[in-house]
Amino acid sequence: MSVTLTINGKPTEVDADPQTPLLWVLRDHLGMTGTKFGCGIAQCGACTVHLDGEATRSCQVPLEVAVGSEITTIEGLSPDSSHPLQKAWIEMNVPQCGYCQAGMLMAASSLLAAIPEPTDEDIDQYVSNICRCGTYPRVRAAIHKAAAEMKA
Amino acid sequence: MNKSFNLNRRKFLISSFAAGGAMVIGTHAMAATIEGLPAGVPTPAGATEFTPWLTIGADDIVTVRATAVDIGNGTLTQIASYIMEELNPAWDNIKVEYANTNRDYKEGNVYSTPGGALGYFSGRSTGPARMDTYLQVAASARARLIGAAAEAWGVPAAEIAIKDGVLSHASGKSAKFSEMVEAASKVSFAEEPKPKDRSEWTWLQKKAPAKIQIPHIVNGSAIYGVDVKVPDMVYAAMMQSPVMGGKLKSYDAEKVKDMPGVLAVVTVEPGENVPTDLKPPFPFGVNPAQHAVAVIAEHYWQARMALDALPIEWDDGPGAQWKSTQQMVDAALAAVEKPGEKVEVSNGDVEAVFKDAGKIVEANYHTPYCDQTPIEPLNGTALVTPDRVDFWHPSQHSQEAFYVAAHETGVAPENVYFHQTFVGGGFGRRVFSDDARMVVAVAKKYPGKPVHLIWSREEMTRQGRYRPMMAAKLKAALGDDGLPTALLGRMSGGPGFFAVGMPETALTAVTPNAQIESQTVPFHILTGPYRGPGYNSNAFFVETFVDELAEAAGEDPLDYRLRLYGKFADKGWVKVLEEVKAKSGWGEALPKGQGRGVAVANWGMDGKTPSGTTVATVAKVDIAQDGTLKVLQLDVAFDTGRILNEDAVRVELEGGTIFGLNMSMMEGLNVEDGRIVEGNFDEYPMLRMEDMPKINIHFGGLSDDNRYFEIGEPPAGVVGPAVGNAIYAAIGKRVRSTPFRLHDLTWS
Repeated sequence: MSVTLTINGKPTEVDADPQTPLLWVLRDHLGMTGTKFGCGIAQCGACTVHLDGEATRSCQVPLEVAVGSEITTIEGLSPDSSHPLQKAWIEMNVPQCGYCQAGMLMAASSLLAAIPEPTDEDIDQYVSNICRCGTYPRVRAAIHKAAAEMKA
Repeated sequence: MNKSFNLNRRKFLISSFAAGGAMVIGTHAMAATIEGLPAGVPTPAGATEFTPWLTIGADDIVTVRATAVDIGNGTLTQIASYIMEELNPAWDNIKVEYANTNRDYKEGNVYSTPGGALGYFSGRSTGPARMDTYLQVAASARARLIGAAAEAWGVPAAEIAIKDGVLSHASGKSAKFSEMVEAASKVSFAEEPKPKDRSEWTWLQKKAPAKIQIPHIVNGSAIYGVDVKVPDMVYAAMMQSPVMGGKLKSYDAEKVKDMPGVLAVVTVEPGENVPTDLKPPFPFGVNPAQHAVAVIAEHYWQARMALDALPIEWDDGPGAQWKSTQQMVDAALAAVEKPGEKVEVSNGDVEAVFKDAGKIVEANYHTPYCDQTPIEPLNGTALVTPDRVDFWHPSQHSQEAFYVAAHETGVAPENVYFHQTFVGGGFGRRVFSDDARMVVAVAKKYPGKPVHLIWSREEMTRQGRYRPMMAAKLKAALGDDGLPTALLGRMSGGPGFFAVGMPETALTAVTPNAQIESQTVPFHILTGPYRGPGYNSNAFFVETFVDELAEAAGEDPLDYRLRLYGKFADKGWVKVLEEVKAKSGWGEALPKGQGRGVAVANWGMDGKTPSGTTVATVAKVDIAQDGTLKVLQLDVAFDTGRILNEDAVRVELEGGTIFGLNMSMMEGLNVEDGRIVEGNFDEYPMLRMEDMPKINIHFGGLSDDNRYFEIGEPPAGVVGPAVGNAIYAAIGKRVRSTPFRLHDLTWS
């Protein structure tokens, strides 16, 4: 089935089975590999994208459901890595292996859009992604730092 | 004799066609290591190679080659730092790329020692041989650039300075590296110049750059193994025998051949490899293929759907005799009741002391199978043709993966090209290259097309090379001063379990009579390295037991350790304990249901003192009356000898501590009829942001001994016993097995 998705502001044509998870449409059919496969059951959050601004685990979104939504992926978070979260991530040496970090950034950016000055509890609730390297303390600190920069 | 690998003078001779760039491999940053597919990285013109390790380009880019794969531990940044220290190019002009295993083979092991540990295309970058290598190649390049400038300008070499990639002289003359590089390639020395003394360092130990690959990570452009795209690529999904060692009985490809996108159904059997003279890198050996069936399709999701629909029958084999986890735990515990088949340590006469002892402390412990669980699922892409193999893979050991690709296909090693990608977590899972083996074994059944095989999370979790299940008995006699006079330690585990962490510990060393034994139990579950192999279980056994000794001696557990380990030759043990005692609030009163616990252990002890890395951790926990356990705070002090990049060390201590916390609180795989039960994160849960304690890393334990030992694995062993001992302090319940989440911690 050929459909048109809106990804990072651009209409994008894709031909795939309507039940194919958005994750695999992005990665495999469209070659947008910034969005990662981790578990396939919406547990780990590595595949997090924004659907109409809301952090969503793309492994559980069939292609047909994504049609008509504004989809934002890590490739579209900012044109030049200038999102305050991306800057804080680099400055604070947040990622280790880095594999889960696109999902972390998408969860965190959705949080900051909803709650510009999140508390630790807000972060706990919004950013439930799994990181095996143990970057959690730095992810938290970098979200606070980005929030401060966005306020300034 | 230079102990650095292959750093004899011959290696510093500049290739005669160097100025033409014919021998240079690439000058791109990390993300580009897999550019130029599938033939490898393109060769830029006009660059000069000083050794296989270092190239300076006409664009002033200094390219350095890394053998140690960066799995998030910062090896690439550390290697760039060595170059910065000795050569001082502009930091942004340093590019790190992976050393080419094909070249290593063809050019006589220019990056390694065949079959030897120095050929380790894995591990950390701060090992003494590696550190010496990089400092030397940079120092040699520096001296040649200066030599060339001295001749061109007619001034003494000693008067020429290098800063930020510019050579300069007080007369006002200056030149970029690129202007001198061709002349520099003709400079020769009777003896290679010595790198700087540590006292002259301006970068190492002074600066703490963030990992150089992070810009590629935060915008999604970093290419991990799972992200590889090659023209004409097809995808594969695979299932291996659910009982390890079992065989494929039957499958019905007809049922799926007409499903969308399906191209083929192929099988893998052990022993379909081709004999080769190529030796596997020490000490990883040959990891055979497992019986498996795979569906190959145009798209990955199609392959997954078809595999789910494929009727498959398995012959489980002897592993099915293990009906339950409990049966295996019982077998491991029974094994430590008998004298071990292998005596690891035997000092004095333990039994004689036990006979006359006033006070005996004895306890049994056990730890379960745990999976390394990197978040990037196992995967790889291989293009196998009769006379060439190209293989893209997130390896933790590229030389082992290179070996596997040659061994599995029978293609001559000089025609095997391994392309290292970013690695989405290692923790030991991607070292043995059993995953690499399966990728190549599937791909060779569909030759001529690049086959991209991706494990499902469930398949990966159930087909691990796990941290072994282990059990231990520890028994000690206490003297009048409360310290042990005799120690018996017995370990058991499945084939291949690691004894590391009990025989060579400080406890064994300071106890006058010590007997340490081990015994193998015939489990079929396959095991492998997992952050701090052996040590991650043994540190839990030993340091929980030491807490029990302190209890029996009626002494504060931290003060008891100061006395006990104060007898040990490596004074770093006392130093890290004193650091956490001072910084953690140790001894301050806590409300009911809260407690502090301490543990100290060393990873990497090699029989000499001082050696390895010692870590002490104090845990503060809160336990609700309903048994809910919350770790509130962890204070960590360490002694690696010295450090080179403070933040890199801090980040590894954070990560290693959280990894060990997860291991001890959460992880444990179950076995049912020989199969691993848990498949995904709903069944094998992980700590998340909300579970994080406050983690304080303290630097006051450093001894300044002349070593830069590793830091990723050491913290993983101590956090578990520290939390377990804190549970005891809080509610008086001794936990002698992990994961803690399975224990009933209710109190009233």
